[in-house]
Amino acid sequence: MTNQPLISRRVRRASALLATIALSLTAAACSSSSTSTGNKGGSGSTASGVTTISIDCAPPTSKPVPYQQWNADIATFEKAHPDIKVNSIHTFPCETPALFTAALAGGTEPNVFYTYFTDKQAVLNANQAADITSYVTPSTIPVLNDYLPSVISTQKSNGKLYGIPYTNYTMGLIINRKLFKQAGLNPDNPPTTWAQVATDAEAITKLGNGIEGYGDYSAGNNGGWHFSAELDALGGSMENAAGTKANFDNPLGKQVLQNLHDLRYTDNVMGSTQLLAWGTLQKEMAAGKLGMYIAAPDDITYMVQTLGANYADYGMGPIPSVSGQAAGTLSGGNDYMFNVKDTPAQIKAGVELVDFLYLTQGQGTFNYARLKATQQAVGLPEPEMFSGATLAADNAAKAANATMPVSDFTSYLDANVPGDGEPSDAQAVYKVLDTAMASVLTDPNANIDQLLSTASNQVNEVLSNQ
Amino acid sequence: MSRSGGSALLRETRRNLTAHAFLIGAVLCFALFSWYPMIREFITSFQKVRGGQTTWVGWHNLNQIVHDPSFGVAWRNTGEFTLLALVFGYAMPFFVAVVLNELRHAKGYLRVVVYLPVMLPPVASLVMFQYFYNPQYGLFNDILHSLHLPTSTWLQNPSLAMLCVVIASTWMNMGSAVLIYLAALQGIPGELYEAAELDGAGLLRRIWHVTIPQTRLILSLMLLLQIVSTMQVFVEPFVLTGGQGVNNSTTTIVYLIYQYAFNFQNYGAASALGLVLLLVLAVFSALYVRVSRAAEQ
Amino acid sequence: MASATVDSATRTLISQVQLNRRHGKAIYWTVLTVVLVVFSLVFIGPLYFMVTGGLKSTQEAIQSPPTLYPHHLHPSTYSTAWGELNLAQLLENTLLYAFGALAFQLVFDVAAAYALSKLRPIFGNAILGMMLATLMIPATVLVVPQYLTVLNLPIVHLNLLNSPWAIWLPSVTSAFNIFLLKRFFDSIPQDLLDAAAIDGAGPVRTLCSIVLPMSRPILAVVSIFAMVNVWKDFLWPLLAEPDPTKQTLNAGIYSLSQGVSENVLIAASAISAVPTIIFFLIFQRNILSGLTAGSLKG
Repeated sequence: MTNQPLISRRVRRASALLATIALSLTAAACSSSSTSTGNKGGSGSTASGVTTISIDCAPPTSKPVPYQQWNADIATFEKAHPDIKVNSIHTFPCETPALFTAALAGGTEPNVFYTYFTDKQAVLNANQAADITSYVTPSTIPVLNDYLPSVISTQKSNGKLYGIPYTNYTMGLIINRKLFKQAGLNPDNPPTTWAQVATDAEAITKLGNGIEGYGDYSAGNNGGWHFSAELDALGGSMENAAGTKANFDNPLGKQVLQNLHDLRYTDNVMGSTQLLAWGTLQKEMAAGKLGMYIAAPDDITYMVQTLGANYADYGMGPIPSVSGQAAGTLSGGNDYMFNVKDTPAQIKAGVELVDFLYLTQGQGTFNYARLKATQQAVGLPEPEMFSGATLAADNAAKAANATMPVSDFTSYLDANVPGDGEPSDAQAVYKVLDTAMASVLTDPNANIDQLLSTASNQVNEVLSNQ
Repeated sequence: MSRSGGSALLRETRRNLTAHAFLIGAVLCFALFSWYPMIREFITSFQKVRGGQTTWVGWHNLNQIVHDPSFGVAWRNTGEFTLLALVFGYAMPFFVAVVLNELRHAKGYLRVVVYLPVMLPPVASLVMFQYFYNPQYGLFNDILHSLHLPTSTWLQNPSLAMLCVVIASTWMNMGSAVLIYLAALQGIPGELYEAAELDGAGLLRRIWHVTIPQTRLILSLMLLLQIVSTMQVFVEPFVLTGGQGVNNSTTTIVYLIYQYAFNFQNYGAASALGLVLLLVLAVFSALYVRVSRAAEQ
Repeated sequence: MASATVDSATRTLISQVQLNRRHGKAIYWTVLTVVLVVFSLVFIGPLYFMVTGGLKSTQEAIQSPPTLYPHHLHPSTYSTAWGELNLAQLLENTLLYAFGALAFQLVFDVAAAYALSKLRPIFGNAILGMMLATLMIPATVLVVPQYLTVLNLPIVHLNLLNSPWAIWLPSVTSAFNIFLLKRFFDSIPQDLLDAAAIDGAGPVRTLCSIVLPMSRPILAVVSIFAMVNVWKDFLWPLLAEPDPTKQTLNAGIYSLSQGVSENVLIAASAISAVPTIIFFLIFQRNILSGLTAGSLKG
């Protein structure tokens, strides 16, 4: 009997709990975040005329310096625009496939949301991107006319503009200058042919102590991504021009795989740890265990900011090819799109915010003086998306605040390899090629012809389902 | 009270109303979060969504998944995982429980130790296993190396990858099964062993003729539960090998569903594959229900 | 002989008599030692490496061969993991979800199981059958339609995304728990309840004063399952709580795994494991006796 009061108390508490459900549900509904649907035209704007916008891909707390700089920038922006309130969503990584897809299915993206260039078709298929053509003009985005045409066109569909690009990269070869020196190689002269890569990697691997000369991906869709880049360098392409058929089951595709297989099993310069996805090679490089790998310049920023590496230790050369003159390289980038449910006021505010944070000289990501003062990397050859006066101004500002020898990137910049955009339905295609990459890097007896024909069939399947 | 007929009906109605009042919370939750999504799932299997437009496509989705080369591979892997998990995650806990049941000391400690991994967040355990499996600086290769045994690439070896996943999964989940078996073993009357011993039965024969028959019900229930739950394995391969592994060596049906839905945004195909898996699991579940029915009698 | 008869009721596979022989004793102690050593190595060893791995420098954490103990202590790794990764927040979220799910399941599932077992309403069996049918549906299969449901609840049109309700309410749909509870309630003799009814106790009274006190073991089991399920769930919380400040430990560590160095990741895992270990050690008696007290007659 002693427990009877206890039980009834529990029941009472439970019923109290249930009673609060109704209340809190209503509360939840009322306070639902600014990402909520714009069914009442005025969502996001309150009576006082303040427009609230949410934006994702703000730096996470695990990156203290960028995190503080972002918050400072938002405070400055809000001060200058008292009628705009910004909700930052601090995420890393900026896009997790499952979450992104779920958000597209439910229309729950933030008002201003981060996407890869390659996500455009998926976002449009889900009907989630607002048409921002009329909002993006030289008066709202002053650098508009200096965008490289190949960059801004990634955001267009049927003549309408859906996103604002803010980074663009082309892939090259990142080298570990420190290990180059230790191995007696000249770090100012990165290898440009695969034969030189093999020679240099062997010299670096000989250093022992678990150091590998060359690394590459074979998981998490990154394997296919690099396959695509290495194929571009040889003058091939993943798909036919219309993007309806696979185009790599040929001598060029074979050359890419054979070359990696040789690096792994004939030259023995890649180590037994394979199946790597994005984030792993960076860790090895930052820990001084890796000599070279293919990447975009922003990997160096990542290694410095997140992994505590030292940028003076890295340099870049162009993506390796057979001739030493790569025919092309994979380019890609990120942009901000706008939720289809955004009100005109929200789109306007969002465009203004993106311009302030990412596209204005001396501000946000271009605040080189501040980056230098906080020991962040300045001087990397990025973002590669401007030409004309904007590019000249950016280069001058960069040189003035450079925190690294800009000459470390001469070889990469001088090669000026043209960027090829990513294949259509890129992520699904990359995923298919992961298998081939994983096989040549983990199976000494991999059958390359068979891998390619299987992958080709699967890619055709993927493309035919579009 | 005099018109018993009327009051009986009234009582009956009231009893039913009370009972449904008790049920309402759970039923509402089931309706919203289980039954309604199930119906939605079924409908989606025959639809395609493009540019916000939904169209009926009949058997197209099913046709597509059956012709996907990954389909056969994923079934084979799911089967392989289930079999391995039965050996490790089913037989081993029983063996461990039998041994623990014989020990007269440190009982509490051993139980705590076995159950400890169950309490860890799985992603933390898997991060740890990934660290141990690393071919270059992992603990496992180091142990093998110091014993002068050949080392391995573990998760990167297509023929070992699934085994590695099962080992991690068993370590994480074995505790619950051990404790359930222990409970069952403690329910066996000692007289039965006594009698068997008087008949001259040795240790193995006692296990075979007393222990196993006495725990048959719980063993068969656990077997079915194990099959149904291992066929749904997701998080282990997802974290350890990114899902598919080398040569699709760890692609399971559930991971394939995930891929259709979240990498290719093909909800139609994901739902269709879900239906197929559902039919297969339904067979096992029907068995489960039958066994538990027999148990209740 | 008296001891032998006592033994016969409580004995297990091997009798005390056998163990008392010298030969038996030797074997017993050998087995005991082996079991203790192997179990400690297999189940505690990895935890040791997890905790010490977090104390190593980045270099040492990925050194080959691995070091048995940190040669240079780097406790700062732990403060980095704790401070920068918001682990406190993740932990708090996970506990909130787990305890909330527990409360909802105890209220709704116990009530439902009691009604199905003892009140026997019309359509009761059909409802139970439909509940059990959900057992065979892999959670992953339902993730997409479930997500769309949580996003916009039919009829009431509420968005539960990023709220604890998105985890609490679906957790009630644990057919396995209802099934366990119902089976246990079935075993409570009906005449006890009839006696209570004659005394004028209503169904709520009967449930609280007779059924629940008798069902303590099964309630313990169900509670543990309820907590552990939330604690272990990965994909659903990842999708249902996209806001990084509302994530669970599992989702948080998974997101991290791409962005931090090996030793910080290991430290974060260790930190996330510690509270559970402490919780478990404090309540181990209740948890383990709960798991075994519902002695399952085979």
